Amino acid sequence: MSVIVAVLAQILHMALVVLAAPVVEGAVNWLEARLAGRLGPPLTQPCRDLIRLSRKTAVLPESASRVLLFAPVVSLGATLAAAALVPSFTLGTALAPLADGLVVASLLSIGRAAAVLGALDTGSALQGVAAQGTTALSVLSEPALLLFVFSLAVMADSFNLDLIIGQQHEGTLLPAAASALALTSLLALAFADTGDASAGLDPDLSGIDLAVVRVTAWLRRLVWIDLIGGLFLPVGIAGADGGLREWGTGVASWVIKLAAAIIGLCVVRTVLGRVGRPAMPDLFGIAALLALLATIMALTHAGTV
Amino acid sequence: MRPSSNGSPSPVTDPIRLLAADAAALLLLGGIAAFVPHRVTGFATAGLSGLAALLCLPPLFPSVAASRLELPVGPPGLTLHLALDPLSALFLLVVSFCGTAVAAFAAAHGAGAGEAGAATARHARSIPCCLAALSLVLLASDPVTLAIGLILLGAAMTRLDDAVNPLATLLSAFMLLFAVCLLTPHGFAPRFDAVRAAPIEAGRATAGAALAVAGGLSLVQGSAQSRCWAIEALTAGAIIPCAIYLMMRCVLDLPGATMQGWWGFILILAGGAASVTRGWQAARHIDLSGSAARLARRQAGLAVTGLGLTLIGQSADLPDAASLGLAATLLLMVSSATAGTLTVLAAHALGAGADTNRLARLGGLARTMPLASASLVAGLLALSALPPGSGFAALWLLFHSILLAPRTGGLIAQLPLALAAAALALSASLATAASVRLIGIVVLSRPRSARGSAALDVGRGRRLILLALGGTSMLVGALPGLPLKGLADPTVRALTGTGLEGRAGWATLSASTASPGYSAMPVLALLALTIGAAALIVRRLRKGTRVSGVWNDGLAPTQGLPFGDPAAQSVGAGFLPAALSARPPAASLTDMGGFVGRAPAVDLGHALPPRARPIRSGVNDAGPLGVWLRRLALRWWYPFKRLPSPVVGLWAILLAFGTLLLVVAFNDGGGALE
Repeated sequence: MSVIVAVLAQILHMALVVLAAPVVEGAVNWLEARLAGRLGPPLTQPCRDLIRLSRKTAVLPESASRVLLFAPVVSLGATLAAAALVPSFTLGTALAPLADGLVVASLLSIGRAAAVLGALDTGSALQGVAAQGTTALSVLSEPALLLFVFSLAVMADSFNLDLIIGQQHEGTLLPAAASALALTSLLALAFADTGDASAGLDPDLSGIDLAVVRVTAWLRRLVWIDLIGGLFLPVGIAGADGGLREWGTGVASWVIKLAAAIIGLCVVRTVLGRVGRPAMPDLFGIAALLALLATIMALTHAGTV
Repeated sequence: MRPSSNGSPSPVTDPIRLLAADAAALLLLGGIAAFVPHRVTGFATAGLSGLAALLCLPPLFPSVAASRLELPVGPPGLTLHLALDPLSALFLLVVSFCGTAVAAFAAAHGAGAGEAGAATARHARSIPCCLAALSLVLLASDPVTLAIGLILLGAAMTRLDDAVNPLATLLSAFMLLFAVCLLTPHGFAPRFDAVRAAPIEAGRATAGAALAVAGGLSLVQGSAQSRCWAIEALTAGAIIPCAIYLMMRCVLDLPGATMQGWWGFILILAGGAASVTRGWQAARHIDLSGSAARLARRQAGLAVTGLGLTLIGQSADLPDAASLGLAATLLLMVSSATAGTLTVLAAHALGAGADTNRLARLGGLARTMPLASASLVAGLLALSALPPGSGFAALWLLFHSILLAPRTGGLIAQLPLALAAAALALSASLATAASVRLIGIVVLSRPRSARGSAALDVGRGRRLILLALGGTSMLVGALPGLPLKGLADPTVRALTGTGLEGRAGWATLSASTASPGYSAMPVLALLALTIGAAALIVRRLRKGTRVSGVWNDGLAPTQGLPFGDPAAQSVGAGFLPAALSARPPAASLTDMGGFVGRAPAVDLGHALPPRARPIRSGVNDAGPLGVWLRRLALRWWYPFKRLPSPVVGLWAILLAFGTLLLVVAFNDGGGALE
């Protein structure tokens, strides 16, 4: 893919991600309400909330410093950077050489760390306790994510997401059992992370800062969906040398994957309920165990090839 | 360096002679420190140590051969054998650089009075002796010189702080003496060049390596109980690199190809366990300096893991894997020595400014000590595993080293690699948690004491030192290939037979030609772009800001506490997963460092409700479709509801499966699962 086309693909990918984030949130809220027997909010409610919040004057506690102002921005920037690296509808975008699984995992960690630091900066009790809890959960979730990335790298012999997705697309990401275990691990991680892992960090934020925090959470969820869809369901994704027709197919398949993810998430939440804080260590522990199993199977299988 | 008429460097400009003279001058300086002003001694020590660092650069050039020196010192028949090769030059450069910073930091403090004055005097007397001893250890090419250097080091450290365990250093000296003697074949003089030249038996190589590893660990453990900032800084910047050097010398260099590969598995497991343990300790220690020191010590475990991966690659005749593992170890040493020293010095400056090291009494130091706070943040960023810090680059190399490790040997050989990857991942997350904890409690929020609110930032001298260390640390993070390509390549080539061409550019790291590598600058640029764009949009949309009081859930602020309620801020407990159980951490509110007095221990475990089940049924008012789905799921889930936790069930399954696999593997010699 030429440089200009790669840059165009990257810009289109970012535009799709940024536009899809509030739409996915609206769809999830609507469908969850419907499954619960309620009418549900309109699909555009998240966008309305953003507009409403952006019109408000932000109120900051007197004990906070500029860190509280910048923490949401840094968190959003890091999550946006991670979203930029995870392919959605096509491979071979301009940032594909940077799409290292370890880098993506670390960017998500930076986003969470920034939010925690913003909560600790307020000096208030509840935010401090929430920050402690979020950090404690991250001690479980981050190794699980790193192990998951490592298990895929063992199968693909590379940490680059584009290469891994390409091999999965061609069916050469073996062994399939390890891939299935890795998928389960990622599902557990995504389900727990999209719960209330970072709840309680933003009570002191309002106005545009609260809007930024909400957009960050939506983008983070979209990163998980893109990871699941790209790494394990790369059907329809355009190759690095694809043209406009392949891009169209890629966008259509991406939209279908988003819809499937929304339905799946809402069904699971309806059946099992939202994941509360006491349940999150178990889910992260399960994800880590499964990722470790996948790693062992992948390492053992690689010696037989 | 001008060569003499027979092609070798002239005696006046020979680096090894100059380094030996430098070490002697440091020793002399330590001896006369009682009669010289402390500042003069300190800055002279820094100058000599800096000179030693500069003298280590020429031997790192690719075309320069190793040099040797024999010093007839002491009783007849005792000759000190010194040698300078790329390996010792690289580590001496790191040790001297960090030693310069520590000596200058101590000298910039000033004389002081009373206990502070006594501490300054001890630093002035002992730091030059420590650095001289370390130079002797790193230049030694025979076990006697090595042992003398270690004994001298132990004596100097004990002189610096009584809490240092002199027996540990003495033990390490004897262990390394015996290790090198074991590695020396019969009939050969116990010198490094003779050991390399002659083949040794595998059993002696194994025993020697075991003693060397134990000696290195003992050397590091000797200072574990010390609370002296100079000891902790020297440990982070000089003693840990020295210990890793000794292990590298006795496990990789001297035994050569005789070393068996299973040693590598032991090292990666031991290193992983050590790094996880230190990371856990760092994330729960109640002191700022203690947490910082343990974060620095955590890097030693990672370096041992890299050493093990190098050995595995070497024994399997995979020079690419070996060179990548060694590159990871060397990058870790360079980055962690710098960052560890920076973190410890910054932690000391913050603690001294606020007159306490207890996390429960620290806070808001970013306002009063901005430079020291920024230095602490820079050091912690490099020690944690977040890009674009140097710690992430080293972690990246370690993961790729595991990826390149041989995939033969079945489950028994692959299980340690998987566990090593798990340990690396857990250690990285613990380091990140510990760093976030320290930054959030110490640097941010608001002060909790009068002294903390009136703390003064470091003086000009210390400011320069912190800036120099911080700049170096950030440079290594931004250009991780720079220390590898510029400094470590001769060492890697000498030990593994393969250089770092194609693996390390000036700014990039690459594991193979088939996949893109890691480059910190583009990641930094991407972060700057996204954060900058977000900041611009937020600034454009912001409708002003109003400041109000802290919302405390409607509770009135506590009277009589001019700095706010210190109990409202975190005291550093609760950042680890153990705190997620129903029992709250009883120490969290009582651990105030004597501020509110010791509260009686209260056992709340029985008064709290039982731990919530991880999976619960859905909402009661679900629609028809939701009810049907829930009933279907509960029918599947019912057997698992009897378990206390699904994780228990999965552990049981994993253990049973793992036991079965191990039994099959042992019965079949490890080949059944290939």
